Amino acid sequence: MFISTTSRLAAILTAGAALTLFPVAGVMAQTVPPLTHESYTLPNGLRVILAEDHAAQVVTVNVWYNVGSRNERPGRTGFAHLFEHMMFQGSDNVKKGDHMSLVERGGGNMNGSTADDRTNYYESLPSNRLNLGLWLEADRMRSLKITKENFENQRETVKEERRLRIDNQPYTGAFLGAITSVFDAKSCFAYAHETIGSMDDLNAATLDDVIDFHKTYYTPNNATLVVTGDFVPSDAKALIAEYFGAIPTGPAAPDVQCDQPFNTGLQRKSVTDSKANLPAVLVLWRIPEYKSADWPALELLSTILGQGESSRLNRIVVRDTKAAVAAQALAGIGPRRGPNVFGTLGIANQGVSPDSVEKLLQQEIARVGTTGVEADELAKAKNAYRAGKVAELETSMGRAEALHAATMFLGDTKAVSTNIDRYMAVTIDDIKRVAATYLRPDNSTIVLIKPETKTP
Amino acid sequence: MMHRKAIRVGALGLAALVSAPVLTAQTAPFPTQPPAPMPLKPAALPPFQEATLVNGVRVVLVENHRNPTIAYRLALPAGDAYDSKGKTGTATMVAALLTKGAGTRTAEQISAAIEGTGGGMGASTDEDYLSVSGFVLSNAAPIAFELLGDVIARPTFSEKEFELARTQTLSGLQLNAADPGFLAGKYFRAGLYGAHPYGATATATTVRAITRADLQAFHATRVRPRGALLVVAGDITMRQLTTLANRAFAGWTGAPASVATLPAPPVRRTTEILLVHRPGSVQSNLLVGNLAIGPADSTRFAAVLATQVLGGGSDGRLFTILREQKSWTYGAYANLTRVRGIGRFEANAEVRTEVTDSALVELLAQLKRVGAEPITASELEGKRGAMVGSFPLTIETPQALAERVASITLYGLPANYLQTYRTKMAAVTAAQVSAAARRVIRPQQSLIVVVGDGTKLYDKLVKIAPVTIRNADGDVMQASDLTPKVMATAFDVSQLKASRDSFVVMVQGNALGTSVVSVEAKNGGWTMSENTNVMNGMIAQRTTLESDAVLSPVSLQQGASMQGQQTKTDVAFAGGKAKGSAQTPSQTGPQTKAIDTDLPSGTIASDALQMVLPLFRWANNATFTVNVFSAGKGTVEPITLTVVGSESVTVPAGTFDSWKIEQKGGEAAVVFYLAKASKRLVKISPVGQPIELQLAK
Repeated sequence: MFISTTSRLAAILTAGAALTLFPVAGVMAQTVPPLTHESYTLPNGLRVILAEDHAAQVVTVNVWYNVGSRNERPGRTGFAHLFEHMMFQGSDNVKKGDHMSLVERGGGNMNGSTADDRTNYYESLPSNRLNLGLWLEADRMRSLKITKENFENQRETVKEERRLRIDNQPYTGAFLGAITSVFDAKSCFAYAHETIGSMDDLNAATLDDVIDFHKTYYTPNNATLVVTGDFVPSDAKALIAEYFGAIPTGPAAPDVQCDQPFNTGLQRKSVTDSKANLPAVLVLWRIPEYKSADWPALELLSTILGQGESSRLNRIVVRDTKAAVAAQALAGIGPRRGPNVFGTLGIANQGVSPDSVEKLLQQEIARVGTTGVEADELAKAKNAYRAGKVAELETSMGRAEALHAATMFLGDTKAVSTNIDRYMAVTIDDIKRVAATYLRPDNSTIVLIKPETKTP
Repeated sequence: MMHRKAIRVGALGLAALVSAPVLTAQTAPFPTQPPAPMPLKPAALPPFQEATLVNGVRVVLVENHRNPTIAYRLALPAGDAYDSKGKTGTATMVAALLTKGAGTRTAEQISAAIEGTGGGMGASTDEDYLSVSGFVLSNAAPIAFELLGDVIARPTFSEKEFELARTQTLSGLQLNAADPGFLAGKYFRAGLYGAHPYGATATATTVRAITRADLQAFHATRVRPRGALLVVAGDITMRQLTTLANRAFAGWTGAPASVATLPAPPVRRTTEILLVHRPGSVQSNLLVGNLAIGPADSTRFAAVLATQVLGGGSDGRLFTILREQKSWTYGAYANLTRVRGIGRFEANAEVRTEVTDSALVELLAQLKRVGAEPITASELEGKRGAMVGSFPLTIETPQALAERVASITLYGLPANYLQTYRTKMAAVTAAQVSAAARRVIRPQQSLIVVVGDGTKLYDKLVKIAPVTIRNADGDVMQASDLTPKVMATAFDVSQLKASRDSFVVMVQGNALGTSVVSVEAKNGGWTMSENTNVMNGMIAQRTTLESDAVLSPVSLQQGASMQGQQTKTDVAFAGGKAKGSAQTPSQTGPQTKAIDTDLPSGTIASDALQMVLPLFRWANNATFTVNVFSAGKGTVEPITLTVVGSESVTVPAGTFDSWKIEQKGGEAAVVFYLAKASKRLVKISPVGQPIELQLAK
């Protein structure tokens, strides 16, 4: 049966070329050109940010609820995401399925997503359908239809999503498990569990949980509405007042606690990944929150080390020594209001022990702490950051997300234009200093990902 | 104006729009109906500026200094249609190699230079054009244009990168050959366009015929400045742009490339079916359509709406009926392609084998109905609303705008096409949509391609329209060929003896695994075992095949592991039947297939090929056909083994004077090398793959 064996191998080699390891870190903001906007709060507590811009006849209506997996309690992980699905199951005036068709018939697009710190819902529309986007968001904020049938149906959908996107992908499950395992489940449960949640917890969720969750977190006073694009502010304000104004204020949502000590000693772990073919090593360090002054240097360092063909890890660990088939670095998988993770990952090449990959990764980190990085490496990383931010602000959707992120993670809408200054001010000394401060052995967790031994 | 449907508008909502007072929300009841669209404003498109560079490149600039970014596309009439006969794939390979070394930079240096700016760059082809597109911050414009000049005018086409690109192309084609959607498209285009170059698709043969010199020649003759179009959108002035572009393209000169006169595509007067036989297929891929209209045809707006009503997205008629109502398919769609010549109307669906004929009849009925019956107001409004409404989102960024502006020039559309797009689309009436449907959707003059299991489809399909059958390689088959015939076995079992062969699995020249095959006499017959392990168990397989004294299979057991998926196959053979189950890996986990297949006498198991191959009387040009049972597909198919030459082959076990034997049919095309003296298989090479098995001992 050599025939099917060989064609299968060719399929893998071809597929392997597209291997991606880390989700792309999504962040925010820049200064060129400044993004003018205004912000106010309705009497019921809904925060509104408007950024008028007539370059394209497009508007984005984007609501962030201040709730994500960080708000979940033990035994109910995955619940924020499960609830996100419920938001597409209909409300008083929008039948199940109509949300999507109304937006599509209007020529727009829409979606929602759940992260650690927030859940977002948006519509991008031609500007003459601003009213439709606002009406749809208001109707589900005020009158979501929560039924047993919809809930059971979405529970299964979410479980299937977990199977397809995480359990069936090599390294993904092990990686997500590893980056949450560096946090203490007792003192910082918020970041010590995965957004997708465990199957057991998804099975244990009840309809009452859904109702409570809506009451606690899906209130106007726990949400921010951003409208960007081609609209007249007075028109938008009138519509917002009409649609959202009468939604009653809810009780204040409980605070999230996270007390995570750093430098508590090196930890080693090993996990088995049945989908992986080659062993991999993850070296992880705890780093501070996004608004910390040290964050920009850490993020630029992750670009220098491990983003792109010409990055350090790719040059040294993959191309020169051929120790790994892929190597990357990242600073978090998105901004947070709490501690985050800096990680490097190497997938060992055939016949190379994961130990030697780990040594190479550690060696490169140590080298940054002692000798820093080259001026042109830092310049390239800043260029890449700047280009990414400029591109983000070209669409109304990108501008809406950037305004939300500035508000939530930096506590100031104006940071949408000034945040880039933090990055452009980073020096080689800053990079050296943050590497020495955070990327040290007693602050690290080393995770070995082992393929399952296969004996058919 | 666009939406006449009387959606009730809350009086307060209208008042708010007109006078814009901030209302006190407490008094306003929440509107129970979605608000009506607000008035549409005229499209605000920046003016285009045009210029011609000193070497003749035509330049269009959409200047916009709002963001410090630039997007560009350089397009040349050097698309796939210009491949010379027998060398289809040349333009695609030229595009693939442009960024893999140019000017003084290697492939790595080009990617580092692009990454350094934070921008991007890529080259590709379509039927008509070869394009290089990119995006950078405006302060990186000088390096971006320098790179563009290098890749377009001074590509290196190094031997190393050429070989790599060809291997990747061949691997890709090998994967495509197993993809029924790809096969459907290939035979559909070939059938509709005939000898017109739009009908050609690259194959392993055409790609292997392409040399590095062919790529250099294609580049020299077709990649010329006159006839090229450079569209730029974003933060740059015409003066800056022409200065940078003239510098980047310095030395790139020459007369315009010749424009070939293309043969007219064939005229189709009746509907016929091309059945592409894919034994064991549990699904059928349907592709139905006809040649339609040119890119600038004035009917296009109405024709696009007709196509959308019929098969646009999840609320088109095809999706609603074939999927939602009948549950015959996961999706069914229609599309109108736009090329420089005559484009196609096509409708497609993937349906279960058992319902293929019902689905096809329904699909044809819907194709007819869209022109025959009036379009409902709700359907027209929904699709027109989506087309008109989504327009601003399709030109929101400079990249998207550059794309659309380029298409105006490349397809010869009116200069004010974008400015008038929404008004023209919004003005289309239901009667115009119906008339356009009758013109572009012609179920009575269609080509229907069905890729599926011919043994289960043929009798049903001939009741719908005349059927021609081909196999996946394109060879014409007769209906009688679909059922395997009883064949006298051409091999001599008395030659078989116990053996044990060890192979090294070579991947791109590296030894990455082993495969051991042994044959022993057992229970009055023969038992063959195989044990393969590649990359430390990344792929592993164990097979035990028991056969009787004349090598008819008795039992087959197989366990395999591929990227962590465990699969098991267990088949028993008795009374002219194979019964059992087989699993194959897939993206969503192992797929199990029940096997209940009739076996003509003389059929061997596909797994036995390696054992049987030495038993034929090989000679120059000798050719033998044998019926082979494939557990993975649950089918019996004839495969043909032909000696195509003699070669001296060196493998770890030594150097052997060997017959080179090609296999056609079955799971994949393979070339075997059989030592003439010892009758041992010394090398096994699947066609078009960077893999081979070499005899070690």
